[in-house]
Amino acid sequence: MILEGLMAVCQPLTVLWIAVGVAVGIIFGAIPGLTATMAIVMFLPVTYSMAASQGIAMLMALYIGGISGGLISAILLNIPGTPSSVATCFDGKPMANKGQAGKALGTGVVFSFVGTLIGIAILVVLAPALCAFALKFQAYEYCALALFSLSMVVALTGSDMPKGLISAVLGALLATVGLAPIDSRPRFTFGLYQLNNGFALVVLLIGLFAISEVMSFAESVRKKQDFSIEQNVKMKGAGFSLAEFIAQIPNAIVSALIGVGIGILPGIGGGVSCMISYTVSKNTSRRRELYGTGIMDGVVASETANNATIGGAVIPLLSLGIPGDAATAMLLGGLMIHNVAPGPLIYEKSGAVVYSIFFAMLLAAVFMLLFMLWGMRFFVSVLKVPKNYLLPIVMVLCGIGAIGNANQVFDTYAMVGFGLMAYLMIKSKIPTVPMILGFILGPTFEENLRRVSQLASSDPFWNHPIFCVLIAATVLVVIFSARANLRDARREEELNK
Amino acid sequence: MKDRNNYKLDIVPGVALAAFSLFAMSQIPSIRVFKGLGSTPLNNHFVPWLWSGALLFLSLWLIIRGILKYRRFGAGEGGSLWAALADKREVIASFIALGLYVAFMGSLGFVISTTAYVFVQILILTPAERWGRNVLPAAVTAVVAGCLLFYIFRSTLNVLLPVGLFGFGL
Repeated sequence: MILEGLMAVCQPLTVLWIAVGVAVGIIFGAIPGLTATMAIVMFLPVTYSMAASQGIAMLMALYIGGISGGLISAILLNIPGTPSSVATCFDGKPMANKGQAGKALGTGVVFSFVGTLIGIAILVVLAPALCAFALKFQAYEYCALALFSLSMVVALTGSDMPKGLISAVLGALLATVGLAPIDSRPRFTFGLYQLNNGFALVVLLIGLFAISEVMSFAESVRKKQDFSIEQNVKMKGAGFSLAEFIAQIPNAIVSALIGVGIGILPGIGGGVSCMISYTVSKNTSRRRELYGTGIMDGVVASETANNATIGGAVIPLLSLGIPGDAATAMLLGGLMIHNVAPGPLIYEKSGAVVYSIFFAMLLAAVFMLLFMLWGMRFFVSVLKVPKNYLLPIVMVLCGIGAIGNANQVFDTYAMVGFGLMAYLMIKSKIPTVPMILGFILGPTFEENLRRVSQLASSDPFWNHPIFCVLIAATVLVVIFSARANLRDARREEELNK
Repeated sequence: MKDRNNYKLDIVPGVALAAFSLFAMSQIPSIRVFKGLGSTPLNNHFVPWLWSGALLFLSLWLIIRGILKYRRFGAGEGGSLWAALADKREVIASFIALGLYVAFMGSLGFVISTTAYVFVQILILTPAERWGRNVLPAAVTAVVAGCLLFYIFRSTLNVLLPVGLFGFGL
């Protein structure tokens, strides 16, 4: 299977699609407002007619390119191209201001590569182990796992817990549309046959992330934005010495481990991992007072962590079918379209595809390194592309993605509806990411809860230690997160006073 | 002042979501329950009740929180609804354009509807004072995008994009 996966990736056309995916991903990552998720949305219909390994390899390349490209605008514009590069601004832009733009970009690129490699290495080791463990899972365990993953929403929502929970519950409620699990009775379909299969994940994601992004740009049309792009970008090699690279290795390893760890947790993406690893790096450094003034340590921490998150986020995606963030939720849609069912049996049913994903990620990381080191001038020039021309075409591509999902125009209506809903949610300060978790985990929870209700009399829950541990973990996560949220809310209130 | 007006961000979505959850609850009894062999003790009503009930509870929580904020800080300064809508005119126009695009895509076909939509959307996203020099590039972009995307996806990638009444692209 390993050889089969390698062979699939080594096909010239697959290599070409991976290269295209990385380049487009970097462009999307570099332009503020366009994200890796949007790049995947846009190219999903392109993959419809491809073989599974080819299509998914391209989506992975878009993901890696998209996360990596964010550093360009973070360093040159002080605007993170993607949420994953927020912390890169802190030291990247000051370095550029000091005339070290090339060094900052080189550092970001090389350590993005290092982070991706560490993430992939951990993915390759952990994913099969998690799959083997998850083979023991039955209805009880899946039900508890869904609850545990949903409980992460409480941990994610910051000081406004009710709004985070609303988002997750709304997602779970939307997932009940269509034929009910087990007995296949239609629910909330209002006689529309197009709703029998429920709303497609891809359609929901397009509405939540692509349309809302276009609308947020529409809001800023009349606002004058003063972007000064650092033009003086000279890159010689990676822009830093070997001694500097070696000195950063401990920082990179710690940041990568943080990135992978956060990537594994459902719903938390690179945006959080780069902030946490930057903070950890700063707090544990001997020269913490220099952070924020333009030192490479800050760029290393942020960029290694956000790229390592990729490998981390793919672990639960492949092993359990639970996405780590919005982009992996989109990848989940891509896997489903190509008839690859993520879960504990993925190695048995689609082993070659899984290994092709690993090799594709590796190849994409190499392409990312080469493209960004040698093609930086091109990617910098991309920052000048007028978004008023780009976004309408992105919208059309999203529409094609929605139509192509089930070859029905009806899905575009749902796409617009979800877009409007997402816009109103953002305006009401209701986060949209928990909704994806609710939408994906809701059906898993329901199906297994109903199975458990059948089994309970003959097979009580105390026969399932994993179930008991997961429920206990859920309770602990909810209690501690709720306490932390309340504390944050009180602190915020005091600051408001 | 912004924080004092935050009560609206609780009450308005709270009311809308409470109404939505009540609507969902009202639809649950019409779901047919399966009572045959292999039916589960928790039927297909249970989880919709669970989620819509949870949504109603959380919506009421938001409404009550908003009311408490209002009592504490008062109404604060707020602009008129029309001023707020006028401020968001590009967003409203974008949603209308997008809505019309998807509504007419089936009848007009992908090429015509996409060309029209891309042209209008580019102008919406362009400041009005720069429309003059953008009309021609926008029109060219719209026509090229409509035709090229149709060719790529319909002919090359076999996505069933609608051809519409006029049969463009066939």
